[in-house]
Amino acid sequence: MHGVRRSRESREAREARRQREQEELNTYLSLQEDILSRKKDKDWSKDAFDLTTRMLNKNPEFYTVWNYRRLILLNNIFRNSSPHEKIDILANELVMTISALKVHPKVYWIWNHRRWCLENIPEGGDDDDMQGWRKTCWKRELYLVEQMLDADPRNFHAWDYRRYVLSSMPIQRPETAELAYTTKKIESDFSNFSAWHQRTKVLPRLWESGKLDKAQSLQQEFVLVQNAMWADPDDQSVWLYHRWLIGSGDDYDSLTREIKGIHELLEEQPDSKCMFSPILATLNLTNACVSGCMETLVHYKRLLIRSHTSRLGPEGTQILREECLGLLKQLEELDPLRRQRYRDLGALRRRHCQ
Amino acid sequence: MATDPEPFTLPEDVSAQPVPIPPLERSRHVAHCNRCLAGLPASLTDIDSSRMVLAFYCLGVMDVYSALDMKLSASDREAWRGWIWAQQAGGEHGTGFRPGPFMTRVRQPGYTDASAPHLIMTYCALLSLAILRDDFRRLDRAGLVRFVRACQDTNGGFTTTPGADDADLRMCYCAFVVCSFLNDWSGMDVTRAVDYIRRCRTYEGGYGQSPGAEALGGTTYCAIAALYLLPQDTAPAGRLTRAEHRQTVRWLVHTQDGATGGFAGRTNKVPDACYCFWQGAALAIMGEKERIDAVALTRFFARCQHRFGGIAKAQDEAADPYHTYLASAMIAIAQGAGTWALGPLDPLVNATEETAAWARERVPARPVLA
Repeated sequence: MHGVRRSRESREAREARRQREQEELNTYLSLQEDILSRKKDKDWSKDAFDLTTRMLNKNPEFYTVWNYRRLILLNNIFRNSSPHEKIDILANELVMTISALKVHPKVYWIWNHRRWCLENIPEGGDDDDMQGWRKTCWKRELYLVEQMLDADPRNFHAWDYRRYVLSSMPIQRPETAELAYTTKKIESDFSNFSAWHQRTKVLPRLWESGKLDKAQSLQQEFVLVQNAMWADPDDQSVWLYHRWLIGSGDDYDSLTREIKGIHELLEEQPDSKCMFSPILATLNLTNACVSGCMETLVHYKRLLIRSHTSRLGPEGTQILREECLGLLKQLEELDPLRRQRYRDLGALRRRHCQ
Repeated sequence: MATDPEPFTLPEDVSAQPVPIPPLERSRHVAHCNRCLAGLPASLTDIDSSRMVLAFYCLGVMDVYSALDMKLSASDREAWRGWIWAQQAGGEHGTGFRPGPFMTRVRQPGYTDASAPHLIMTYCALLSLAILRDDFRRLDRAGLVRFVRACQDTNGGFTTTPGADDADLRMCYCAFVVCSFLNDWSGMDVTRAVDYIRRCRTYEGGYGQSPGAEALGGTTYCAIAALYLLPQDTAPAGRLTRAEHRQTVRWLVHTQDGATGGFAGRTNKVPDACYCFWQGAALAIMGEKERIDAVALTRFFARCQHRFGGIAKAQDEAADPYHTYLASAMIAIAQGAGTWALGPLDPLVNATEETAAWARERVPARPVLA
């Protein structure tokens, strides 16, 4: 192995180590043999349960043993427990998975067992609230996910799990709360694309349910995106999210307003009263930012042509086409990595212009 | 050692500096994988549960560099074929290949929950056998069709093993390749599978690992390859519309990083050699290979080469068979010059064209004479 010093082990030490490993191996194999044959014999005893604990502490990836453990819980332990005892047992299961996850954070089967436990929490609570225990456990789970996302805000497994937890909570949290969570994550790091992505899931639901007025909300989103551009104009997330806001470009006013705004950003007119003035004053536009602007402009102008040609008239449409061609030519120089794509897009447009 | 001339000079390319690209260290990469085939250090014990995948990467590298005959004797190849066949297991959920002999009890026919065949391992096994030029006489084709069926989830996706609930796009892709090789799609509800794939598509133009998730390079490859593997007449609804095609190409092309020439797996992530394959191959499948800046990509790979052999995910990282294989596969797709010119690779199934042709000829059941 590279960089690892070959250790000087005496023959005796090596032999002793080999013996120890062989013993460990034999213990493990006989434990495995014992558990699998008990499972085959449908042994649901407490002894069998304790054996699964031992095995899973050694090897939490052994998904058959997780299955067996759940079968024992369902066929024996739960049948002989009161709801209070059941909740204690499940709480214990959850603790067990936390210890396992600390060592093996990515093992799917541990998360799977956690989900099963949460989904099996009985009705009941410490007061008269029949959903009491469920509320507590799911709330705690949400907190756990938030800790994970604090540690790694781009962990898409965690975001996925978050969506699962939110949809499983007995009392659904208001979507506005989730929107606020994504706002918090975005404000702490504008390039957290996963948080922007979550926003694209939450907002449509809020618009559909009428909790947020779509037109007003969109305006606010455009402002948020502009703030993000100010903080980090090279950021791809921002451009992608902006595109999502524009969508198919059916809203002529938004589309033309945003196109104008991006033009002004490019043309660097710090005296203009445009919305981007604060940005222009402090920005040092890099090539990546400029090409991001231009590429977006080409896309938006195409949307204008596609959706609003009657409003533009033949002359207006032709002007837009020529503007696109000009932008694409500039992009070939500014973003040489993707010049082939810009050339092809340009060729397509030239054919349209003829 | 002499450096190679630039693999590509695009016309009108006045901005390119004639800085030579370092050579592709073929023999060192082959040696790295050959060593890994022989054994791995204790620190990588976790990989034991994916041994079949590892075998595929190592054999795949040798195949891509046409080094199999040189590195593996006839008896070695026979031994490897034997080991792979030993992982084929039939039981109540059909027949497939296991990752390796771990978790299996005394040799007995069939399998238990603990030692069930695995869809990704099955894909790797079939490709590995094709690389080793097996005649596939031992393949339980009917069992394999049943296994694919047993792995399809109610949501249309595919799980790793029958009855598991871990469906995602990766296993979807593997199921599609298996059916494609068999030339038998009866084990799959194609409509539901295509619907699952479509639900993984995001507004970005890429595909997430499961519905609702953000687009990732690896799963975008899986989605595109799966859709393009479908015979045209089977599910016309599978192919992308022109608008979707453009949107996907845009997303793929923009994951190439201007600074390094490598591809990043998703928005705002660092470039990684394996994503050069996932996204590069997806573009190739869509007929858009020319959108990639091949010179920049080659320079990126050159920097990822490890001085002791193998290709790492990025410069100054440790090499491993996974990144070595995927980088080499993409190098083959890119069709460079000099040491960077490798034999052609089929991006749909991720094997050399020769190996893919071998599989397509020998995996299907023999036609029954009417």
